[in-house]
Amino acid sequence: MNPQAMLEFARGPFFYASLLFMIFGLAYRLFTVISLGWSKDRVPDKGSKAGGVVMSFLKGILIWPFIPWVKNTFNRNPLIYIGGGLFHLALFVVIILGTPHMLVWKSLTGLHWATLPLPIVDWMAAVGIIAMILLLINRRINPVLKLISGPAEFLSWLFVFLPMVTGYMMTHHLWLPYENLYALHMLSVDVMMIWIPLSRISHFIFYFFARAIHGAEFGKRGVAV
Amino acid sequence: MTATKQAYDTLVHETGGWVASQLEACTRCGMCAEACHFYQATGNPEYSPVWKVELLRRAYEQRFTLVGGFKKMIGLEKEITDEDLKHWSELNYYACTVCNKCSMVCPMGIDLGSLLHGVRAGLAAAEVVPDDLMAAVNKQVEEGSPLGMTDSVWDQRLEWIADEWEEDIPRDVQGADTMVVFSSIEVMKFPTNVAAIAKILNKAGEKWTVSSKAREIVNFGFYQGDEKNTKMFLDRVLEGARDLGVKRIVVTECGHAYDALRWHGANWLPEANDFEIIHITGVLGELVGNGRIKLKPGAFDGNGTITFHDACKIQRKGGHIQEPRDILKVIAPNSFKEMTPNREEAICCGGGGGVIAIKAADPQRYAAFGLKIDQVNSVGAKTVTMTCSNCRLQFTDGVEHFKLDWKVTGLAQMVADSLVE
Repeated sequence: MNPQAMLEFARGPFFYASLLFMIFGLAYRLFTVISLGWSKDRVPDKGSKAGGVVMSFLKGILIWPFIPWVKNTFNRNPLIYIGGGLFHLALFVVIILGTPHMLVWKSLTGLHWATLPLPIVDWMAAVGIIAMILLLINRRINPVLKLISGPAEFLSWLFVFLPMVTGYMMTHHLWLPYENLYALHMLSVDVMMIWIPLSRISHFIFYFFARAIHGAEFGKRGVAV
Repeated sequence: MTATKQAYDTLVHETGGWVASQLEACTRCGMCAEACHFYQATGNPEYSPVWKVELLRRAYEQRFTLVGGFKKMIGLEKEITDEDLKHWSELNYYACTVCNKCSMVCPMGIDLGSLLHGVRAGLAAAEVVPDDLMAAVNKQVEEGSPLGMTDSVWDQRLEWIADEWEEDIPRDVQGADTMVVFSSIEVMKFPTNVAAIAKILNKAGEKWTVSSKAREIVNFGFYQGDEKNTKMFLDRVLEGARDLGVKRIVVTECGHAYDALRWHGANWLPEANDFEIIHITGVLGELVGNGRIKLKPGAFDGNGTITFHDACKIQRKGGHIQEPRDILKVIAPNSFKEMTPNREEAICCGGGGGVIAIKAADPQRYAAFGLKIDQVNSVGAKTVTMTCSNCRLQFTDGVEHFKLDWKVTGLAQMVADSLVE
């Protein structure tokens, strides 16, 4: 298969198949979790559950990516806080605020929005890639992470790293012809989309459950989240 | 293998959507380890909270998820074995106080404390609870108290306390407003605390009583993680309250008991909602706030620095964070100094969750207390006060073990000692 045909396949049928697999896979996961049922909480509240939930999300969104050092456990493992925060920030900037990606969203949903200039997005992409490499090294060194990491954790890392690095290479026309890089980028994205519902990358869905539960639990007790 | 089967079934039973969605949110980032005082003190990676809930995760994934089932089929993931249960029993009962500090650190906000309690439920079903803890549970089932506070012992002790401190302790008063349930730790080991609480309530003119039926607030079934025992002990308290027709139940200085009764009680026994359930710290705040008792300003100034230890179940999980501070700012405005971290981010004493009742867990418990020593020393405190007698037991023991020259006391006692006569 020549690069042109490969690209057509990767951004055509394979892309849509992977996208559908991801959407239905995540919907299935969501459905199975919800169908396990929620028992009713009969305990009277002391504070406000709703207030707790709002605080929980605000803190979740603000602290980790932007001001992780306010956490009192920050000094015990700064790399994981800074690396993890910057990686997610970079991901958000590149996928949502990068022009080429916004155009993909537009073609899929019809929605469009203002994007950031390429140099900023490009720098953030580099930051994200470096953060990922540091986090991988940390995962191999830190005794707790060594204990809790299995093949799935490293595959998750790989399937996220490949789209990022091929995307970066594409932008800078590094080493391979542009078309080959484009094809590789799209292929790796497709593989990632298939992997997402099978793995813990799907935490971006369950994040909303966990943080809401956290906020409600602390809010109901009248404790700052 | 019956033990494993029981554990597995209970773990699966514990996993409703509430638990499952949180297990699914875990990214295995390992940050929770940095919050765990047992991991910090020992460096043992198996003490990381994420690893302690591993059994619950495995049971959930193998039973409820396609990927988990597939992994089990091809041998990528092992089934839970009897050996696993014994191993995780040590991890969870020796090196976890269910203090829930880990949930403050989790970037996903997973309420790890509840999940850890779920793991205990599985271990309890498999009957792999450490012997010492089980002995205490059985004692509470049979005698009504894990510390051997039988009917007659309770009777004699209260008689003696009332006599010694010359405080009236009303017993089994029908139609009283408030029923106070002490913990056997206080009655047996910190009688001054019982006398102090009696003095405060009498001074405030509260219509209160203790109940001979509801004489023990400690709930070792909750430590164990066994629902049946937890309910039985809760029910004894509610029965006492029902018989006397009181409006509210005051839990004294026991954190786990407060957590069980206030924040879980009504979910097990809906009739718990017939009463207002409040911790003595809340009552103290209330009485000082509305002027029913008056405190001598600065009563505790001038004897070196005083610091306050936040108990995980009363402050972080109980919400009584501000009251102790408001009180200390009155009675020790110049000598009260906060440790860091504090309030809901505080570090647990290391003795909660039943850990102090398990002799074999002494090394872990003393190691965790080391963090507390550093905290207290870094503010140069000579006195440490708190609102939980389980913490106080750990502090008293730790002070003796490490030969420290601090004074360990309770907030209620300080309040009683600074009452304006």
